[in-house]
Amino acid sequence: MVYVGPLVLGFIIGFILGTRIKQNPESKLKFGASVFVVLIIVAILMAYQLGPFPYYTDSPFANGFLAALAGIIVGKLTLGR
Amino acid sequence: MSTILKIFVFPASIIIMCYGVLTILGGHITPGGGFQGGAMIAAGIIFCLVVYGLDESPIKLSHDFMAGLESAGALGYVFLGLAGLFTSGFFLYNLGTDLYHIVPPAISAAFNYPDALHAGIIPYLNFVVGLKVLVGLSAVVITFMGVKGIGKDYIDDEEI
Repeated sequence: MVYVGPLVLGFIIGFILGTRIKQNPESKLKFGASVFVVLIIVAILMAYQLGPFPYYTDSPFANGFLAALAGIIVGKLTLGR
Repeated sequence: MSTILKIFVFPASIIIMCYGVLTILGGHITPGGGFQGGAMIAAGIIFCLVVYGLDESPIKLSHDFMAGLESAGALGYVFLGLAGLFTSGFFLYNLGTDLYHIVPPAISAAFNYPDALHAGIIPYLNFVVGLKVLVGLSAVVITFMGVKGIGKDYIDDEEI
């Protein structure tokens, strides 16, 4: 059974933060899709190493961590432009 | 700041912010909570501000956004407190767990946090406190950096 609470709250906070990520067009540094691909890989590894909270038996990952990253990426793609 | 820092800091700050979110979400089970997690998220934002500067930071918090999020956090906390007061007679009564069995089951189910422990409104309180703290600590640094930038215009180097 998947615990919905951390997934939803983590996604909401991540979404709020993701909407604030806006690239400066005048800056020479560009953070494109490749940066976010690397971020996803690192986040999955980190979530596996962190493990779930005590008494959580739904998955071997830290679900809130992955939900927050998903929220940041979705928020960036939808409103963070 | 050096180019290496500018390439590294943005992804690192996102990881720090995600870890802050995890700290907020585990406040009722593990060490952590709203203040600690909010401070970690603010640390990620401040990390970007220090390295990229106020104008070029990829994470931009506008005045309206900060005011709105701070207000939402405070109002959320008050709402949870008043919900307990109106339904049970106790301010901030934990409606989700309902230890005294004085709340209708439908209301108790509505305020119950869906996870392994069923901690009631505690995770929601952590959530709203986290929103307030992340904005509050970020606003301090943004204000200081902004005032520093404004101060440059008023300071006459020749007089000094």
